[in-house]
Amino acid sequence: MKVLVLIAPALLALAGCANVQPWEKGNLAKPEMTFGGNRLETRYADHVYTSREAAAGGAGVGGGGCGCN
Amino acid sequence: MTTSRYTPQELAASLVAAALLLPGVQARADEPPQDGSISLRYLDYADSQPGLDRIRAHSPSVSVTAPVAGDWSIEGTLTADDVSGASPRYHSAISGASHMQDERKAGDFAVTRYFRRGTLTAGAAYSTEHDYVSRALSLNGTLSSEDNNTTWAFGLAGSRDSINPVNHVVVAERKRTVGVLAGVTRVLTPNDIGQLTLTRTNGSGYYNDPYKLFDNRPRSRRENTVLLRWNHYADSTGGTTRLGYRYYSDSFRIRAHTLSGEYVQPLGGGWSVVPELRLYTQSAAYFYYDPVYDATLGAPFPPGYSNGADPNRLSSPDQRLSGFGAVTVGLKVAREIGKLWTVDVKVERYEQRGSWRLFHDGSPGLAPLRARIFQIGLTRRW
Repeated sequence: MKVLVLIAPALLALAGCANVQPWEKGNLAKPEMTFGGNRLETRYADHVYTSREAAAGGAGVGGGGCGCN
Repeated sequence: MTTSRYTPQELAASLVAAALLLPGVQARADEPPQDGSISLRYLDYADSQPGLDRIRAHSPSVSVTAPVAGDWSIEGTLTADDVSGASPRYHSAISGASHMQDERKAGDFAVTRYFRRGTLTAGAAYSTEHDYVSRALSLNGTLSSEDNNTTWAFGLAGSRDSINPVNHVVVAERKRTVGVLAGVTRVLTPNDIGQLTLTRTNGSGYYNDPYKLFDNRPRSRRENTVLLRWNHYADSTGGTTRLGYRYYSDSFRIRAHTLSGEYVQPLGGGWSVVPELRLYTQSAAYFYYDPVYDATLGAPFPPGYSNGADPNRLSSPDQRLSGFGAVTVGLKVAREIGKLWTVDVKVERYEQRGSWRLFHDGSPGLAPLRARIFQIGLTRRW
């Protein structure tokens, strides 16, 4: 239930936005505007935090486990 | 004097068509990479507690991405971790016999097929340590709306891990997980893009830390995450703000909040700087016990141990399952050299303390953990 309270406003916000035309997407196409980022840098961050904290994941599924946690 | 051969409507349509041909105008989500790239990266990690250097890790990695036959791409990564140091036996206590040395090798491979409105990616991952082997398979996809302003994501993954600790407290143990993902990415304005991702992972098997005393955890774990991300481009500075919030909960009754932010500021001459800040807080697992020990036997025996408490009851003195807060501050400096090369250096400082938790009960009595993280990366495109 708490999760729904958290995500419902976000869903409404995402769904209610104005349409952006293709010729207005120049800034959105910049590499720093993508969510992936540097692949190896992201892997390192995930590995470090997974080794030192209880929470993990969130951005994807498919990575293998390790004995570090 | 010449007159235009086009009506205003035809002229507008031509301008739109020309604009669509400009690089970067089309949404990037469903396009195969136009260039291949190879990246090398090196991580130097060291953590410590007051008066004691603990874990040191050196980790080189290589990653390759290549477009194939127009509608396909492949990518693969190889990593080696060389880890050594002292690991706590319980809570923050170190013994002279607890020096550890391990080497982890990991690799993954993925192939992506691009469609007009979506992608489908199949991946496999493998990693091996002297006491732990992990295998994972995944299938991820995206589907975009006709106007490319909304992209839906879905994923399914499974892993099978084999665990053979060198102290033989268990032999040939296993852990299996199945994870699912659903998400949506939405263009909000010409300068804003948002993303919401939900994941659920169900796992079963061996979750104990075999090298910690009195570590007996449930044999199943259900984990949920909600991740919200928002990127904003500032016209005034040409910089980009990247914000993220993650809520995590699991069947160990751990609740965690993560707030992260970084700001990418391009400078002249191909330089850019990226300061970052990450705030994290988690509650303790319900079976974690504070460093308050049995009144008769003392450390490391949990309270009540000498009074007939079930020796097989769930318990863990693992600091990572305690309640704490953590802060990361970092700075990355990158430089593009021509159109083909990028080099970057990143330095981070991480610290966690029980007293820094923001919600729930904390776990007093643990020594703070500090880490410094250094990375250097090099990318070559072709």
